[in-house]
Amino acid sequence: MPPFDFVTPSSVDAAIAELRTGAPGEVTVLAGGTDVMFDLDGGKSAPRRVVSLRRLPWRTVDWNGPVLTVGSTLPLRSLERDPELPRQHPGLLQAIRAVGSVQLRHRATLGGNLGRAAPASDLIPVLLALDAEVDVVGPTGARSLSVDQFIRGARSTALASGELIRSVRFPEPRPSAYLWQRVRPANDISQIAVAAAYSPSDHRWRLAVGGIPPRASRVPEAEEMLGTATPTEAATRAAAERAARHLTIVTDRRASEEYRRHLVETLVERAVRAVMVSRPELR
Amino acid sequence: MTPTSLALTVNGKPRAVEDVPASERLLDTVRWRLGLKGTKEGCRSGDCGACTVLVDGVSMLSCLTLTHEVEGTSLTTIEGMADDPVGREVQNAFERAGALQCGYCTPGFVVALAGLLRERGRSATVDELLSDLGGNLCRCTGYLSIARAVALLRPEAP
Repeated sequence: MPPFDFVTPSSVDAAIAELRTGAPGEVTVLAGGTDVMFDLDGGKSAPRRVVSLRRLPWRTVDWNGPVLTVGSTLPLRSLERDPELPRQHPGLLQAIRAVGSVQLRHRATLGGNLGRAAPASDLIPVLLALDAEVDVVGPTGARSLSVDQFIRGARSTALASGELIRSVRFPEPRPSAYLWQRVRPANDISQIAVAAAYSPSDHRWRLAVGGIPPRASRVPEAEEMLGTATPTEAATRAAAERAARHLTIVTDRRASEEYRRHLVETLVERAVRAVMVSRPELR
Repeated sequence: MTPTSLALTVNGKPRAVEDVPASERLLDTVRWRLGLKGTKEGCRSGDCGACTVLVDGVSMLSCLTLTHEVEGTSLTTIEGMADDPVGREVQNAFERAGALQCGYCTPGFVVALAGLLRERGRSATVDELLSDLGGNLCRCTGYLSIARAVALLRPEAP
């Protein structure tokens, strides 16, 4: 690993100032570090300076009425173990458990997952389905973006120079599910992953599909076919077929386009059913 | 940055580690500076769990952790398991179940399992423990005996 300076600022202002000590590419942000380490070691990036966020006061979980706010540097395992999560956001819990392994989740963070914007992220699909908002702080103040606005593409985000992800907000508890297919349950990358959620406030479904480079995306055409209440078996199958046909899907070393389309259809159908089974009022 | 010294508690004893570059992985500090070779280097990319250590009692992959990130913490490696009641219990279960073949993955499994038992208390079932060990690979595929060792730690479970 090439040498670099390493700093651990203890205030948000100090961290933002550190980000501006070099040109883009010269300064790297380290949250849990589980993904950054590959770039540092593989020579993909050779920063002069690495800014660790470990002293920032962002390892927080805050339940405030219907809104869940998760600090960006909270280890994923801590969110996974939150006693409220299974009931309020079952799909988010399933997605977190799909990330790496227990040991990895003791370090990996929600902020890191978003900031790194891996094309096959296991969290971005469910964040899309739950309409999560990304709270960002920077030299000119704070702003919030939807996940759709925040993720620009593979390894590309809307973060401006000097900006950091402070927290991620989930506006309301939603019956939700996250299903994936891959070779190995732990420490593997999903060939296809599907997040489904039903909003009790606008009575609409959200469907998001991951594992398709360059980034996960919602499938509004299929969401509409599920309607505003309890979809019939036929409507669920039709929505699943629509999602499988509509998405832009490629063949790569993980799976063929044909297999991926088959997975989208199967997993969308199963995910919608899983959401309905979890909530009797939807049946 | 010039390499700096940092303080760690290692298996219960305070240790100062000298001249650690910012880019050094905890795995290399443990094996080469602290001389604790029980912690194994498997994949060096977070895929196999062989390098698992406990940081303040919590299991982590030492290959994906910069040493400077854990400055001031209490580190427990496989060498510290015998002095720890939970660690000793796990070691006993592995011995009784004969849960090893070549042994290379064993330190990672033992430390990861001790960490899980500490974290989950007595509430975790055998199935949950096995699922949470999914990040540890045994290249000999000796999983059945490892599962038997886990079952021995849960005699009340069906």
